[in-house]
Amino acid sequence: MLRYILSRLGQSLILLLIVSFIGFAVLTLAPGGPLSQFALSPGMTQEQIDKIAAQMGLDRPVWIQYFDWLRHLVVGDWGTSYRDGQSVLHVIGSHLFATLLLMGTATVISVTLGSSIGIYSALKRGGTFDYAMTVFAMVALSIPTFWFGLIAIYVFSLNLGWLPAGNMYTVGDGSLIDYLRHLIMPAMVLALVDVAIWSRYMRTSTLNVVKQDFVRTAKAKGLTRRRVLLKHIVGNSLVPMITLAGLQLPMVLGGALVTETVFTWPGMGRLFLDSLGYSDYPVVMGLLMASAMLVLIGNLLADLTVALIDPRIRLD
Amino acid sequence: MTDEKKKTAHLNRRQALMMMGAAGAGLMAPLTIGRDRAFAANADASGQIVLAFSQEPTVFNPLMPHIEVDEGLYYAVYDPLFDFDAEGGFFPILAAEVPTVANGGISADGLSWRVKLKEGVTWHDGTPFTANDVKFSLELTMDPDFRSFRSTGYKFIQDITVVSDTELTWTMSEPFAPMAAILASTYIVPKHVFDGVADKNSTILNTAPIGTGPFKFKNRMAGDHIELEANADYHMDGPFLKTLIIKYVPDLNVMYTQFKSGDIDVIGLQYIQPDNLAEAEKLPGKVVEVAGKATFESLGFNMMRPQFKEKAVRQALYMALDKTSIIDALYYGVPTPTETYMPQQSYYFNENLPKHEFNIEKANALLDEAGWVKGADGVREKDGVRLSFSNSTTAGNHLREQAQQFIQQTFAMVGAEMTIKNLPPAVMWGDYWMNSEFDSVVVGLNTLAGADPDTSDYFMSTMSPALGGSGQNTFVYQNPKVDELLVAGAQDFVPEERKAIYEEIQAVIREDLPFLPMFQYAVIKGWKDDVEGPAPNINNRIDTWNVREWTRS
Amino acid sequence: MTTLATNTKQPFIKSRALRRFLSHRLALIGLVMVLSLTAACFIGPYLLPYDELHIDLLARFAPPGTGGHIFGTDPLGRDIAARLFHAGQISMAVGFAVMVIATCIGSVVGVVSGYYGGKVSAVLMRIVDAFLSFPSVFLLLALAAFIQPGPVMIALIISATSWMEVARIVEAEVKSLRNQDFVQAAHMLGMSNRWIMFRELLPNAIGPIIVAATLTVARAILLEAYISFLGYGIQPPLPSWGNMLNGAQQYLASAPWLAIVPGVTITIAVAGFNFIGDGLRDAFDSRSDHQ
Repeated sequence: MLRYILSRLGQSLILLLIVSFIGFAVLTLAPGGPLSQFALSPGMTQEQIDKIAAQMGLDRPVWIQYFDWLRHLVVGDWGTSYRDGQSVLHVIGSHLFATLLLMGTATVISVTLGSSIGIYSALKRGGTFDYAMTVFAMVALSIPTFWFGLIAIYVFSLNLGWLPAGNMYTVGDGSLIDYLRHLIMPAMVLALVDVAIWSRYMRTSTLNVVKQDFVRTAKAKGLTRRRVLLKHIVGNSLVPMITLAGLQLPMVLGGALVTETVFTWPGMGRLFLDSLGYSDYPVVMGLLMASAMLVLIGNLLADLTVALIDPRIRLD
Repeated sequence: MTDEKKKTAHLNRRQALMMMGAAGAGLMAPLTIGRDRAFAANADASGQIVLAFSQEPTVFNPLMPHIEVDEGLYYAVYDPLFDFDAEGGFFPILAAEVPTVANGGISADGLSWRVKLKEGVTWHDGTPFTANDVKFSLELTMDPDFRSFRSTGYKFIQDITVVSDTELTWTMSEPFAPMAAILASTYIVPKHVFDGVADKNSTILNTAPIGTGPFKFKNRMAGDHIELEANADYHMDGPFLKTLIIKYVPDLNVMYTQFKSGDIDVIGLQYIQPDNLAEAEKLPGKVVEVAGKATFESLGFNMMRPQFKEKAVRQALYMALDKTSIIDALYYGVPTPTETYMPQQSYYFNENLPKHEFNIEKANALLDEAGWVKGADGVREKDGVRLSFSNSTTAGNHLREQAQQFIQQTFAMVGAEMTIKNLPPAVMWGDYWMNSEFDSVVVGLNTLAGADPDTSDYFMSTMSPALGGSGQNTFVYQNPKVDELLVAGAQDFVPEERKAIYEEIQAVIREDLPFLPMFQYAVIKGWKDDVEGPAPNINNRIDTWNVREWTRS
Repeated sequence: MTTLATNTKQPFIKSRALRRFLSHRLALIGLVMVLSLTAACFIGPYLLPYDELHIDLLARFAPPGTGGHIFGTDPLGRDIAARLFHAGQISMAVGFAVMVIATCIGSVVGVVSGYYGGKVSAVLMRIVDAFLSFPSVFLLLALAAFIQPGPVMIALIISATSWMEVARIVEAEVKSLRNQDFVQAAHMLGMSNRWIMFRELLPNAIGPIIVAATLTVARAILLEAYISFLGYGIQPPLPSWGNMLNGAQQYLASAPWLAIVPGVTITIAVAGFNFIGDGLRDAFDSRSDHQ
């Protein structure tokens, strides 16, 4: 077991290295750069731009810049943002809360709602509800999230005036109610796709469990339907759900990006987009590495948990 | 706007001299009236204003490279020595008086400067402000290890001497008329926070700026807002607000919605979009005002491209540019048509330039005459050069993209094929722009420093990076006559003489058309009717230039 | 992912799969949606009196149904219906191009990795993992900065982020097949590795590949919409469903049809392909317990 974990970790490190190299190359070789945002400022002559580029080390060959960046990363120095001169970890940290709040809420909604729909669909397999939910899930997966957000804004903010069109809270208010009012729309929009995914997976795994012998045995033993449901079905369906949760972890960045843009939510997704727009390489690389780590950790945790819970799966 | 225009046009010699920082302080009197109630008023600073920008201020050290929106914060937290008012005159801030030839601050040849500072000014952390801070700030701009926002002007400053805590002198290596304008956008930073700091690029100023300005930095919620609080010890009149919040709302639509709903009190940079103007003007409890800006929009050519070498081509394309439709239909008549780069409010504006005419037949005739023959595909050609080119601008600027597509259609009517090649900002304004890798662009430029008319960086032949130059002449415009005039203008301290020079430059450029001037920007500002203070000022880049005077009733 | 790999293989019977597919109600609906949309996009432009590029500033923001504009006009007075159909040709072309490219790359990587196993597989699958570790939006936006985003380039970029799923599926399939008798037999007959991989193994994985390919079209249309919405996609005046939405946010209050029309169309197209994909999955999966 320990050997397995170690070898997986080793593989992950190599993977991170590949990801960082590709990411860095793509970023720095792209035309433009962190100084181009100043090109229209008065006094920002070519002479001045060249001087600053030299001071920042941007005139060095890409591979030297890369190893320099890597050398610092290894000792825990993630670099400094070109945009606001703060450390990358601080910049990411200061956007973390907003994203966690949004993703957390969306995840709670999608897991509870999605699982309930999934189990119920599976138990009533072939019924109207099951069919309706199948169609719903497919459609939900087909709607562009940002467009759904726009339509929500159009209906609930512009027409009905019930909810604010963007931001996380009203400056000067910041009460719980205020946060909730701002949170509802983006969280629901973000949850839409996840509810669909979770309900599909939950349906499948519940179906697999229902067919197993022990459920039939339990039923035969005269256990109430409710107990069978809770104890066996839900318990056993959790295994694939954990796998899914592990695989969903990296969505923290990608999934929130578009939603945060539409709702002007001050989280990591928008930080990513802003930083990319300003060619703030250190922050973009930081976010990229953080997200890649989440993917790898998510994968590893999912595999390990499954192995621990389900003795039938052996790791080798 | 028209009122302002008249006022500036009638500036007398003395008032105009003011702009140079080279004349008497006559105009100062009315501006300083009322500033005596300063400290009394500070005691009851109350109220809060939420000011929204569509970009996020992130660079808090004002001497480092920054963009327009960052200056929104500087005016609140820092002070320059003196600044431009709306009429283009100077008023003192940290300086006790604006240095001029008359008061002995500047020598007659423009080479020796003496600046007297106010007494009793302190930094936000309580440290006294002295001439050493000014000397340090000026020297910092030329420090080889510091990422400085500009060197133009500063590189002429030599031998800065601190005479006393409130006085310093320096000499200029050559006379440079725009120096005063550059000083007006030089915010003074505290020397003491740099003491003992190894890397001058990373000081506390990056995270928690310390200035002498009307507001103290309180905190920043990254990606959302910055909170500032009143500086009770401010050395001028004001501030009259307890709290100033600079909010970042990245989407113009959301920003407008929040202005409508009352979440934000003053709508700042990028402002209300022209398509919302009609509705905004009817909003209850809101003041909405159209204000001119010094930026002008143009379709600029890369003069190195063979398609644009011939003046007839550029003139024909100008005739094929339906300016009126663009301004009236796409921009709802908000901006003002222009024939030049010089803002119409400027003293140096040339109002006698030939008027643009939209005329497809004439444009076609002109091209026929010049020997550009239409090919089978309707695109003109001469000596193997097809009249086909790309046009670029920042992707995502939707009004400009609409204008671009419209221009594409009218250009096609004269046999010019314009393809659209828009790029993300970081790519667009990188080498692609600086090294003139484009064919043509649509761009909004402010080529001036404050109210000074010097534009050498943009129009001097030697200033094209593509030809090894060091400036911002990315159109690669070359005209010996203009070079000569620009040199003369920068060394001349007499406004009447300078006016003649810069009017001639405008006339030559209008004739040469290295860029097709479209319009001078106007923006739609808005605030709640219980807010007093926001006022247009064409000579400063952003709304907060007088934030010390803003009140909330 | 593990669940996908456990399917036991049975000979692939075309007629049976076809029968199952045709009895799948949702799949048929999807097929109708996709076919009618395709027909509209390719026939529609000939029926409309408007040119999709013609600008008429006097006809800006005409609401749907007025002045002969079924879906109204855009901020430059262009007919939205005409643009929508032309955009459809482009968006669907991008979708299909991505499907072909991504499926080819994915299949080759998958079959090579699955057949050879061992080190080859380890290296190839780590590359797949590396690509999966990137948020696809990052790759899309970063790559879009490199090039002039025309339809061809956008298709290539989206393909670069879409082939991994196919690779994983094919690899799993091939791995489970490579020790079966018919492969051993082929070896003994002296068939080349290439022949075995592409003539023997790959056809057996055709079912899951077709399913993945269908879903890839849906995904590609969605991704095109995302990057165009963020302003990095296909550039105007060339219309695409995605870039018709770019800027629509600005006019949400005054001209909501700018957002509604292309958005609904994208949803119909993507849902159509997803329905078909779902139907195909059930049709090919012999164990399917769908009704």
